Amino acid sequence: MGVEIIIKIAAIGLLTAIIGQILKQTGREEISTIATLAGLILVIIMVLNLIGELFTTFNNLFKF
Amino acid sequence: MDIIIRIVAIGLITCLATLIVKPVRSDFAIFIAIAGGLVILFLVLGYVSDIFDTFRSIISATGVSSDLYKILIKIIGIGYLIEFAVGVCTDTGNSSLGDKILLGGKIVIMVMALPIVTNILQIIMGLLPS
Repeated sequence: MGVEIIIKIAAIGLLTAIIGQILKQTGREEISTIATLAGLILVIIMVLNLIGELFTTFNNLFKF
Repeated sequence: MDIIIRIVAIGLITCLATLIVKPVRSDFAIFIAIAGGLVILFLVLGYVSDIFDTFRSIISATGVSSDLYKILIKIIGIGYLIEFAVGVCTDTGNSSLGDKILLGGKIVIMVMALPIVTNILQIIMGLLPS
C-alpha cells in the first residue's frame, strides 16, 4: 500500500500500449483491441479496489 | 515530518507517472491520478481519528450533548468524501457532474444539520421570557 500501486498502474499502461502496437504491426487488430481492453479492465479493478477500501475506511472513521 | 515528505514524494511521483503515460495512453493517466490521490488520502486518514479523539475529550469536558458532536463529525466526513469525488469528476473532464455531486453533498449536509438548527432555536425559545 503506497507508491507501488502508482508505479504498477503506469507500468500496465505502458506495457499495454507497447503490446497493442506490436500486435497492430503484426496485423492482429482484434487481439490488439482485446489486449488493450484487458489492461484497462485490470487497472479499473485496481482503482475500484482502492475506492472500496476508501469507503470502508470512511465508514469506520465517521461511524460513531 | 516524515509523513509530509512521503506525501510530497508520492504526489511528485504521481505527477511524473501521469506525464510519462499521458502521451502513450491518456485514459491510464486519469487512473494513475486517482490512485495517487487515494494513496495520499490513506496516508493522512489515520491521523484524523487522533483529531476526533481529542475533539471528543474536549466536547465531553464541556458537557454538550454528544449527538451534536456526532452530526458534526459526519458532516466533516461527507465534506471530505464529496471533495474527493468532485476532484475526480473535474479531473476526468466532467466538471458539470462534479457540480451536481457538490449540490447533492450540500443538500445532504443541510439535512443533517437541521437538528442543530432546531436545537439552537429551542435554546433561544427557552431564553425568551414567556
